[in-house]
Amino acid sequence: MNSRFRITRWHVMGWIFLATLLFFAVAPMVWMLITSFKSQFAALKYPPELIPQNPNLEQYERLLSPKNDVGRQFLRYMLNSIWVSTATTVFGVAVAVPAAYAFARFRFPGRKALFFSVLFRNMFPAVVFLMPLFIMMRWMGLVNTYTSLIITYLTFGLPLSIWLLKGFYDNIPVELEQAARIDGCTRFQAFYMVVMPLSAPGIIATAIYSFITAWNEYVYALTFLNDDEKLTLPVGLQRFFAEYATNWPGLMAASFIMSVPVVVMFLILQKYFVRALTEGAVKA
Amino acid sequence: MSKTHRSEPSTRGFFGRIADHRLDYLYILPALGVMMLVIAYPIYYTVYLSFFRTPPSLAMQDKIFNGIDNYITILTAESFHEVTINTMVWTFWSTFMAMILGLGAALVLNREFVGRGVLRGLLLIPYVISAVAASYIWRWIYHSDFGVLGAILLQLGLIDDKLNLLDNVDLVLPSLIVVNVWKEFPFAMIMILAGLQTVPDQLLNAARVDGAGAFERFRHVTLPHLKGVLVITVLLLFVANLNHFTIPWIMTGGGPAGASDIWITQIYQIAFGRIRFGIASAYSVILFGVMVVIGYFYVKALTGDDDRRHG
Amino acid sequence: MAQVDFVNVDKSYGSFRAVKDVSFTVGDGEFVALVGPSGCGKTTTLNLIAGLLDLTGGEIRVSGKVINDLDPKDRDIAMVFQNYALYPNKTVAQNLGFPLRMRKVAKAEIKDKVEEAARLLDITHLLDRYPRELSGGQQQRVALGRALVRDPQVFLMDEPLSNLDAKLRVQMRAELKRFHQDLNATVIYVTHDQLEAMTMADKMAVMSGGVLQQYDAPERVFEEPANLFVASFVGSPAMNLLPATRVERDGTVFATGEGWELTLSDRNGAAARRSETDAIILGARHSSLALHETETSGAIPARIYTVEPTGDLTYAHVEVGDKTFVISVPPDRRIAADQPVWIGFDQNKLHLFDAKTEQRIAQD
Repeated sequence: MNSRFRITRWHVMGWIFLATLLFFAVAPMVWMLITSFKSQFAALKYPPELIPQNPNLEQYERLLSPKNDVGRQFLRYMLNSIWVSTATTVFGVAVAVPAAYAFARFRFPGRKALFFSVLFRNMFPAVVFLMPLFIMMRWMGLVNTYTSLIITYLTFGLPLSIWLLKGFYDNIPVELEQAARIDGCTRFQAFYMVVMPLSAPGIIATAIYSFITAWNEYVYALTFLNDDEKLTLPVGLQRFFAEYATNWPGLMAASFIMSVPVVVMFLILQKYFVRALTEGAVKA
Repeated sequence: MSKTHRSEPSTRGFFGRIADHRLDYLYILPALGVMMLVIAYPIYYTVYLSFFRTPPSLAMQDKIFNGIDNYITILTAESFHEVTINTMVWTFWSTFMAMILGLGAALVLNREFVGRGVLRGLLLIPYVISAVAASYIWRWIYHSDFGVLGAILLQLGLIDDKLNLLDNVDLVLPSLIVVNVWKEFPFAMIMILAGLQTVPDQLLNAARVDGAGAFERFRHVTLPHLKGVLVITVLLLFVANLNHFTIPWIMTGGGPAGASDIWITQIYQIAFGRIRFGIASAYSVILFGVMVVIGYFYVKALTGDDDRRHG
Repeated sequence: MAQVDFVNVDKSYGSFRAVKDVSFTVGDGEFVALVGPSGCGKTTTLNLIAGLLDLTGGEIRVSGKVINDLDPKDRDIAMVFQNYALYPNKTVAQNLGFPLRMRKVAKAEIKDKVEEAARLLDITHLLDRYPRELSGGQQQRVALGRALVRDPQVFLMDEPLSNLDAKLRVQMRAELKRFHQDLNATVIYVTHDQLEAMTMADKMAVMSGGVLQQYDAPERVFEEPANLFVASFVGSPAMNLLPATRVERDGTVFATGEGWELTLSDRNGAAARRSETDAIILGARHSSLALHETETSGAIPARIYTVEPTGDLTYAHVEVGDKTFVISVPPDRRIAADQPVWIGFDQNKLHLFDAKTEQRIAQD
C-alpha cells in the first residue's frame, strides 16, 4: 500500500506535464478575456499589455445593447442561434428516443444492419454532404430557412443519441415494464411512466450534445443562410465583426459571449456530456 | 397490439417476419427517414454529379455528362499533389499530437486527487467552444503585428524579428495544427480516461504483486486493455481531421499560396467559390472513398465490441 | 379468488415449441408450484397467464372466462418478479400504490390500502425509502406488497426467493406459505428448486422440455413419480437409478446386472412383468437402502467411493458397476472409502421403471 502514496519520478513528470497542458489549454481563453476588456486602441499597443491598464466593459455594453446597430445585430444572431439549437435539440430527442428504444427492445429483421448504418453516420462529418444537400434544399425551396439547418443538424446528433440511449434502455430490466403492464399500464404508459424517467440522464446527455453541436455549427449555416437577418452566431461573427478585423477586443468579447452558454451548460452537466462522448467506444 | 414485445422468429420467412414486426419499424421510421434524406440521398447524388459538368447557374437540367473527365481534371491538376500532402500532414500530425497529449492527460487524471473534476472540466473547455471562436482567438494570438505570442517570444529573446506565422508558407500548416490539437486533445483525453477507468484494479494489483513497476504495469496491463478505445479514438479523430473545415477556412482560407489548403477546403472553394459542383463532387467521392475504408474499420471495431459484450 | 384452467396450451417460437399441449386446473385458493429445470417452459407458462406472451394454441381461463386476448392490465392478476422489478425512481409507498393509481382508485383509499399492506408485511417504517436503500429481503416484501394491495384474482410468482441468501430464503418460504393460508389466495409459483415446491405447494406441476410431466400433490409426486425425469428431479439427493435386466426362473422374477442379481418380491415381480421389454430400471431413495459391511442375502455388492458427513446424516457415495448410489446412514457409522459393502433394498419402497418408455410401472 505504501507505494501508492510514495512520490515517484512518474508522479513528478506527470504533474509537470499536466501543468504545461493546463497552461496550453487555458491561456488562449484567458487572453481572449483580457483582450475583451481592452479598448480598441489599447489592443493595438506594442508590446501588448498582459494586464489591461484601463479595463472596461465597453465592448460588452455595445454588443449586448439593442440601442445601437451592432448590438441589435448581435442579439438578433444570438436569438437565431438559440432558436435553431433548441429546435434541433427538441426534435432530436423526439426522434432518437423511440428509435433507441426499438433498437434495444425489439428484434425486428434488419435490426443490426440498420443500427450500424445509423452509427456509420458518425464517420461522415458534415462537409462532404454539403453540396448535394445544398442542391436538394434549393430544390425544396428551403435555402435560407432554418428548416434546412434543423434537418441537417438533427442527423449530427442522432447516431450518438441513439447509441447512448440504447445503452440506457438495454440496462433497464424488461421486468419493470412487464410489472407496470400487470399493474395496469398500457404499453405506452409503461414506457412513459416507468422507462422515460429512468432514462432521463441519457436524454439530458443527448440533449446537451445536440444543443452544443448545433450552437457551434458553422459550415452549413454559412452555406444555407444568406439573409443577414437570419444568420446564426458563428456565421454572423465572421461576417460582421471579422470583416473589420481591426476591432479585436469586440471580436474577443463576441467570442466570449458566444462561448458562455455552451461552457456553462457543459460545466454544470459535465458528467452527462462526458458520458455522451465516451458511451459506446468504452464499455466495461 | 401486444404483437411487438416478442423475440421469436416466425415461421413465415423474411418478409413474413417483417410483416410480423411492422409496428416495430414505426419507432425507428422518423430517425431513419431523416438519416436517409440527409445521408443516403446525398451520397447517391454526389456520386451521380461527379460524372457531369454542371452549369454555374446550378440549373441542374442543363448539366452535361462528361464521364470521368472530372476525376482526370482533379488528379492531373498541379495543386492536387501539394493539397494531398497538406491533407496528410494535417490529418496525421493533428491526430498524433492529440492522442499523445490526450493519453498523457488521461494517465495523470486517472489518479485520485483533490480538484481532479475541476481540472478535467478546464481541460475540456477548448473542445466545447465553437471552432469559429477558437479560430479568431488563435488568429489574434498569432497576429503578426500585435500577437501576444510573437511579443513574448521576442521579449524572451527566442526570436529576433516579428513572428509571422500565418503568412509564412512553411509555418502556416504547423501553426494551424497547433490550434486543431488545442481544440481536440480533450476529446482524446476523455475517451482514454473513460477507457482507463475500466482497467480492473485487481489486474493492476496482481501486476504490482508480480513485481511490475509503473511503466511495466502501463505497458503490460493498461495499454492492452486500452487498445479498443485507442483504435476507435484514432479513427474518429482521423476522419474528423480529414474533414476539418472551419479552422483552416477562417484562419487562412487555405493560404498563403495554398500552403494550408487541404482537400476539404479545396472542395468548398471549387463548389461554392468557383461554382463547379461536378468537379467538387468528384473530389468528394475521392475523399469519401478514403472515409469508407476508415469507416469500415470503425464499425468493425465497434461491432467487435458489441459481439464480445453479448456473446 | 379464482380457478385457473389451462386447456391444451401451446406456445411456439418459430419452429421451437416452448410449451407443448399443457392442460391442468389450478383450483380456487390453491398454491401450485410450476417446477422444472431451466428452459423447461415454466416461466413461459407463467408469462402466458400474465399476458406478457401470446398463446400459439389452446386457451387459459380464469374463473371460467377465456383471457387469451386480454391485455395484462385487464387480466386482474398480480405478479412478483424474480428481480422484484421495483420502480427505482419511486418510493416504497409509491411502488405499493402504483397498481391502484393506474386503476384510478381514490387517493385516500390508496393511502389506506398501502398502509394496510405495509402493516401486514411489516414494512411500515420503510414507506418513504427508495428501493436501492432496501436489503434484498425488504425489496422482496415490497414486491409482494405491490401484488397484495390489489386483491387480484390470481397471484403469479416467478422465482421470488431465488435472489435471497439461504437463511432468508427459508424464512421467507415460511412467510409466503403462511400468507397463502391466511389469504386463501390462488397462487401460481414458478421455481427450479424442487424443495421450495415440495415445502410450499398444494400441488406441483413438474415440467420438462415444454411438457407437463406430472401434476399432483407434492407427497404423491415424491412417492409415485410418473417417470424417470420426475424421479430424478424431485427429492434431494436424487433417487438412485439402476438399469437392470428382467430374468424369470421358476416363476420368480429377478433383476440382474453386471455382477449382481436381486430377487424381486411378488409384488415387484408382477410389476416387472408388465415392462414392454426386458430392460427395466430400479429406483430407490437414499433412505430406503441399507448398507451392509458383510455379504448379506438379497443385497448386491458395491464399493464405497467417498463419505460425506452433513451432521445429522452421513451420505455414502457407493459404486455399483459404473453407477454411483447415494445412501444415507447414521452419522456414527464408521465406513471408509474403498471399503467393499453390500446394498440391501426395501422392496416395499422400490420403484420400477420401464427402460424403454421411461414411465413408472405401477405396483398394485
